[in-house]
This record gives sequence, C-alpha cells and structure tokens, in this order.
Amino acid sequence: MKLLSLMFAALLLSACYEDTDVTLHEAGVYKGSDDKHAMSADERADVLKQRFNQVQTDR
Amino acid sequence: MARMKFLCDAERCIECNACVTACKNEHEVPWGINRRRVVTIDDGIPGEKSISVACMHCSDAPCAAVCPVDCFYTTDDGVVLHDKDICIGCGYCFYACPFGAPQYPQEGAFGARGKMDKCTFCAGGPEEDNSAIEVEKYGRNRLAEGKLPLCAEMCSTKALLAGDGDIVADLFRSRVVRRGGRPDNWGWETAYKD
Repeated sequence: MKLLSLMFAALLLSACYEDTDVTLHEAGVYKGSDDKHAMSADERADVLKQRFNQVQTDR
Repeated sequence: MARMKFLCDAERCIECNACVTACKNEHEVPWGINRRRVVTIDDGIPGEKSISVACMHCSDAPCAAVCPVDCFYTTDDGVVLHDKDICIGCGYCFYACPFGAPQYPQEGAFGARGKMDKCTFCAGGPEEDNSAIEVEKYGRNRLAEGKLPLCAEMCSTKALLAGDGDIVADLFRSRVVRRGGRPDNWGWETAYKD
C-alpha cells in the first residue's frame, strides 16, 4: 500500500512537470524564430517587380 | 532594396469588398476576423469615397514600438510580421495601430483575446515557407512563390495596389497627372472637416 501510494504520488508529481525552456524577454530584442527565405532579398525584389508589372499596371 | 507597400486609390475603389473576400478565402481567416476591410467616407452621400484598409506595414511601426514582448520583426522586403509563439495577446498593438489592423480571435474569460492576427502582406510568418504550420498560423505565403498579395492582384479596378513602394508611387503619380491634378478626397479638408 505504501509503495502504491508512493508510485501514485510520483505519477501525480510528474504530471506537474513544466517545460523550463522559456524565452526571457530583453527590451527591444526580437527573440522569435528566424524568417528564412529561399531567395535573397534582391532576387525577391526582382521577381516581385516583374509580377507587379504583369498583374497590377493600368489596363 | 524594395519596401513593400499598399496603396488604395480612392478614385477607383467601388466598395465591392472583393479584396476582403479574397483575403479571407486565401488565408482561411476565421469567422469574426477581418485582416482587411473597406471603409467608406460619407457613405450614402453623393461623392462618397471608399478605401480598402489593412496593415500598412509601417516603416516605423507603432505596433512594434509598444509590444511588451517584442514579437514583431520587419523582413528585408519591409513587411511587418510577428511571431505568434511569442505574442501574449495583450492588445497594446491594437491600441497603437492607427489603422485598426491587429485582430484577436477569441473572446474568453478574463478578457483573454488569443494570439494577435493581422495582414501579413501574404508573406506568412517566421515558420518555414508554406509549411503546414505556417499556413495554419499565418495563412499562405504568396511572396515566397513570387506573387503579390491576392487582395491587390485580383482588384478589378486596380484601386488597391501592392508592391515596391517606389513602383506603386510612380504608377499612382502617373494616374494623378492623367487626371489633371491631385485627388480631392484626401487632404486636410477631408481629415479635419467637422
């Protein structure tokens, strides 16, 4: 019975586990995930410029 | 380097709300959230004007300035995005934004709002481009596919423009010149009339 109650207590306590991997805030510092892109910013700008000229210029 | 901007030509907008519908459909935006909306000035009065408004991806974004957890970042394209994993849903950005862009999906106990949601300029978020998690959290990433925001691309009158600010400004300037002057719906008289 004692062993059983100990096991039950251990099980209960394990349910209280909290992930300690927290993000500590620093003022003015973005600590989120990095936004990675397949193309460089200049390549993207060229592609989007072409796209703009295709679909958004005046008819 | 390009700085992506929206511009709505009020002389062309016909208040069809197709931009709103396109945005909601493209990103499967939940019911009650409007990343984009059409605002009509002097509605019902002859001479009424409409503009389509969403996040304007400010160069010096007030939402980012007031965010207590700094969840905002600006991409190389000048698009203001945020990380929903860091957002605490405090609502400060909503009060700071002059365009009413930040939206909150929940109405819960103790004022719980849920993670903030806003227009992403169809650029997704910090997750892997067009991954399932990015689509679920932020919507589709059209910029990664070499496309511009759908709201502007499908605007039938080409009132809503989206792209590099310099190119958008050149196009709008040419329209104004063709019309023979500046539009009369914007200006101090409109902003400060009684």
